Amino acid sequence: MDPVLAVEDLTVTLTRPDGPVPVLERLSFSVEAGRTIALVGESGCGKSMTALAIMGLLPEGFARADGRIRLAGEDIAAAQPSRLRALRGSALSMIFQEPMTALNPVYTVGDQIAEALRLHQRLGRRAALERALAMLRAVQIPAAERRLYAYPHELSGGMRQRVMIAMALACRPKLLIADEPTTALDVTVQAQVFDLLKALQDEMGTAIVLITHDLGAVADIADTVAVLYAGRCIEQGDTRSVMHAPQHPYTRGLMGCTPHLRLGAAADAGTGPLREIPGLVPPLGRRPAICAFADRCGRADATCLDNPQPPLAEAGLTRAVACWHPEARAA
Amino acid sequence: MSALVAAEAAVQPQPVRSEAAPSMPRPAANPGLAALRLFLRNPSGLLGSVILIGLLFAALAGPHLYGVDPFEIVGAPFQPPGGDPVLGTDYLGQDILAALLQGGRATLLVGFSAALITVVIGVTFGALAGFFGGRVDAALMKVTEFFQVLPTLLFAMVLVTLFGQRIAITTIAIGIVSWPPTARLTRAEFLRLRGLDFVKAARAAGAGPLYLIGRVILPNAAPPIVVSATLAIGTAVLFEGALSFLGLGDPNVMSWGLMIGQNRAYALEAWWTVLLPGAAIFLAVLGVSLVGDAVNDAVNPRLRKRS
Repeated sequence: MDPVLAVEDLTVTLTRPDGPVPVLERLSFSVEAGRTIALVGESGCGKSMTALAIMGLLPEGFARADGRIRLAGEDIAAAQPSRLRALRGSALSMIFQEPMTALNPVYTVGDQIAEALRLHQRLGRRAALERALAMLRAVQIPAAERRLYAYPHELSGGMRQRVMIAMALACRPKLLIADEPTTALDVTVQAQVFDLLKALQDEMGTAIVLITHDLGAVADIADTVAVLYAGRCIEQGDTRSVMHAPQHPYTRGLMGCTPHLRLGAAADAGTGPLREIPGLVPPLGRRPAICAFADRCGRADATCLDNPQPPLAEAGLTRAVACWHPEARAA
Repeated sequence: MSALVAAEAAVQPQPVRSEAAPSMPRPAANPGLAALRLFLRNPSGLLGSVILIGLLFAALAGPHLYGVDPFEIVGAPFQPPGGDPVLGTDYLGQDILAALLQGGRATLLVGFSAALITVVIGVTFGALAGFFGGRVDAALMKVTEFFQVLPTLLFAMVLVTLFGQRIAITTIAIGIVSWPPTARLTRAEFLRLRGLDFVKAARAAGAGPLYLIGRVILPNAAPPIVVSATLAIGTAVLFEGALSFLGLGDPNVMSWGLMIGQNRAYALEAWWTVLLPGAAIFLAVLGVSLVGDAVNDAVNPRLRKRS
């Protein structure tokens, strides 16, 4: 099956007075209809930039220098602005991190959901509001009839994020980009939102690009994972095998940073201190020519320091890793 | 929170159907009606509306009900109020009540029209400059600064002298000299709002620049613009008064400013010739400001009561 989204060799640069600075470097991944890919990594690794590049909404100064972004076969990175506007909100849409500020405070939520439908599907006001109501029901907002006429400030954070999801999915997009959709929410609400996304995806066949820090959520809903570090993909593969046997030391480090709750007999064993990855992601413009993770890596040796950035090489059937010394694959 | 979570959890996912839901609920409360109710509950809004409606009624219906030509000499000059004519006469022996009623038309028309011009030019410049930024911003703000550094009254006087002392010219001149502050205000609001998440979200939903300016950002920038528009009405009324006072108004159209201008030399001997039109201007400006404040409060959804 052809992927809904295929990102090929995407390179994004930031123009600075002293020349262009790479932000994303030859990033490639794809996702099929009804599947979810998770982009994970620390802040500053380029996850959100990837999302904005796909949407064609890179901030001023940032530009795509190379690569293709195919949405159902169409190269949208090369599309006209008017074509992109027609696609945004209908074929590809995005959920933002902050539900508290991503809704327009002067319109009712019903109007805001209806607006996308009127814009893209030329529905009448009434028909669009009816669809908006159906969407509010679909995202399981209680008393949807009343909420249709509520203003954003009258809703809780979780409800607002549901409204955002309703808006994003109103036109049944082929691709949904969710940029840390639950970071601003309570833990209990987070799980609900992920469940909701999964249920709606099963129904609509939407492909999802999920950007998150939440490795628990990744294990839960993502089919494949791409681990980003300093603007590059350093490990990629199906979720189960990456999570169970990370081959890149950075991925392994990320997993080590996730707290695990141990209950019952296991609790007696003690959890031990939560591990961390020393150091910081190299800032823009100061990425080394060698492996960008080398100075934070416990396994770095002369090979790592003397050779250029390791390429993303196949490591098994569905896996790829960019490391000179990938960890042995677990049995 | 926990009850809500339980209630939400109990709801099974429902299929999204594009077919019409059988019964569309009615709006719990029409937002327009709710705003009107809030507006009327506000004492200053009520007082302002009463003043403005009273003045408008007097200006529109007054000359028909009180059939005296304001330019006609009806008796001796400087007759004090309380006799006949009821509000006295001015330095030429013209009926002051007739002049007030007729003059209200011109003054209010100039006030509202000039304010409209101010807002249209100012909001257009400010919105485009603030939204697009960069070179568009620089170019538009240069033009704005050019207008801003000219002394407003002098500039208006030059325009009126060049193009003729007609009421339409006065209106346009006032509009042209008063828009820069509105443009700066609108630009500042757009600069603040354009980077906010809901604008990004609207972009991500496929909104184009005109839609973003008009439907997404402008309604959020409205409160300070509404206030500045009401201030502009008041300023325009005062401006018209000042121009007429300096003898640069339309001499063939009675206005409050013209009354003050023509009688200013006798203000100490015959106070009513100047004080009465002055009070009318004061009332008009007060009424507009009160209404502007109340409108601002009423259209803000955050202040609107939950129904």
